[in-house]
Amino acid sequence: MEGLPASVAKRLQAVTYSERAVAYLQVDKNLALVSAGGDLQNYGLATVGVGKPVLDEVFFLQGLLPLLESPYYVPAVELAGGRVADLHLHSEGEWIWVMLLDVTTERDAARRVQQNAYKMTLLQEQEALLNRRLEAANAALLVSQRELQASREALFRAHEKLQRELTEAASYVRSLLPAPMVDPFAADWRFVPSAALGGDAFGYHWIDAEHFAMYLLDVCGHGVGSCLLSIAVLHLLQAGALRDVDFRDPSQLLAALNDTYQMKSNDDLYFTLWYGVYQPVSRRLDYGCAGHPPAVLVNPDAGAVQLLKAKGLPIGMMPGVRYPSETLTVPRQRYLYLLSDGAFEVEHADGTMMTFDEFLAMIVGPASSDSSDLDRLYQTLIANRGSGALEDDFSIVRFAL
Amino acid sequence: MLGGFSVGKTSLVKRYVESIFSESYLTTVGVKIDKKVEQLPDRVVSLVLWDLAGEDDIGSLRMSYLRGSAGYVLVADGTRRSTLEVALALRERVEADYGAMPFVLLLNKSDLKEQWAINDAELEGFRQRGWWVRASSARTGEGVEDAFKDLAVRVTR
Repeated sequence: MEGLPASVAKRLQAVTYSERAVAYLQVDKNLALVSAGGDLQNYGLATVGVGKPVLDEVFFLQGLLPLLESPYYVPAVELAGGRVADLHLHSEGEWIWVMLLDVTTERDAARRVQQNAYKMTLLQEQEALLNRRLEAANAALLVSQRELQASREALFRAHEKLQRELTEAASYVRSLLPAPMVDPFAADWRFVPSAALGGDAFGYHWIDAEHFAMYLLDVCGHGVGSCLLSIAVLHLLQAGALRDVDFRDPSQLLAALNDTYQMKSNDDLYFTLWYGVYQPVSRRLDYGCAGHPPAVLVNPDAGAVQLLKAKGLPIGMMPGVRYPSETLTVPRQRYLYLLSDGAFEVEHADGTMMTFDEFLAMIVGPASSDSSDLDRLYQTLIANRGSGALEDDFSIVRFAL
Repeated sequence: MLGGFSVGKTSLVKRYVESIFSESYLTTVGVKIDKKVEQLPDRVVSLVLWDLAGEDDIGSLRMSYLRGSAGYVLVADGTRRSTLEVALALRERVEADYGAMPFVLLLNKSDLKEQWAINDAELEGFRQRGWWVRASSARTGEGVEDAFKDLAVRVTR
């Protein structure tokens, strides 16, 4: 208070005492509490026992006493009960004095400011963390996009290559098919392979001067594997390359094919086949069928059809199967259609499947030898389906007998 | 209790002394003093816990608060890597001023393990230096009791 007028010093003392809830503890060199006074109750110290060890009475002084440095100041100490005090400790003579000044209000104000500052800092930290995670996620996404793009391009190239190969395979199959003929009777066909390339193949040729073979086969599945098998069978039929088999006998031929092409040794592939042998002079037709749709004999003038069915499992499904053949004398002015299931198993635009009878209705009726009939049939099927292509190979062969 | 701000020092003391946890965050200004009597197998220890205000600015730590302390709990927030660096700097400052004394390093908020920013290899490195390191959660109580008891054993050894 040196330098202050007595009145100011006195007033300052009064203000400090009343507003700071001043309390004190007097401690001797043995750390016993000698006296205590002021607003002790404010700090929860109203019941401290004079004469007792001060560290037992005032636990927060543990570690601070004995006093190693004087004066010693510990600011903003929150005590039990929530009050906050500045602790001022000093020694004088044989006494240690502990003064407590209440700074709860100042602490609360400081805490509000500090709290806001820390919250802001935490938010900034979280924002920075989120930004880093976002950047990392973006970088990972970018890498993934690039990888995906590369995969797409590789896939596209592979798909293009496969499509080229399928197209080449289809072209090869087409090159093996016989040319349309007009004499001594007309034969014509349409072959439209599906995008995935099916296993359809067909042919006709003279076995000898009197016997004319006609056939259409369909290997199960799609793709190059099915196509290769259909080509192999086609070659075999064209070359008559089965020892000790009379190709004029459908029953014998189908049984021999079944023995040769068991699916166990052909990558689980089997095929259906309609095979007929026609003798123009006698107009006799012998035919057999291995699980294939029947050939259709059409009387265009009467608008009538006859289905040329014969019993028999698909080739390759089971060894030792018998294929009884059927015989027919073909009346004059008839059309004989050989076809694959892809020609009539067509979905309408509304999702329903076309029936075989619906298909028959398309090929029955006045027909001419005009080859555009087969084109019209194909276009009608496409129109029925409502899209630009059929799902399966479209194969149909027509003979005007 | 030493560590950066908002690492959970006050919550750890509250969990240890009062067995409660509050979700609300109230920053500490100055120091909060609590006491807990710990029953050890062979003796009773009175722990006076000084919960110091968290400071990221190491220079602003009032070293007067540490006078007379027998040991300390160093706390970092496992989800905030920067708080581990603050804790390590505080340890250096304490050792420079008061010499080596028992301490335990707590990686707090282990209940948020999916957001963890400190890897196990790093903690193993501290353990190999002879430090007592433990994951803790004031929210669940994981590791809290053990940490204070262990420190009580070591400061009274």
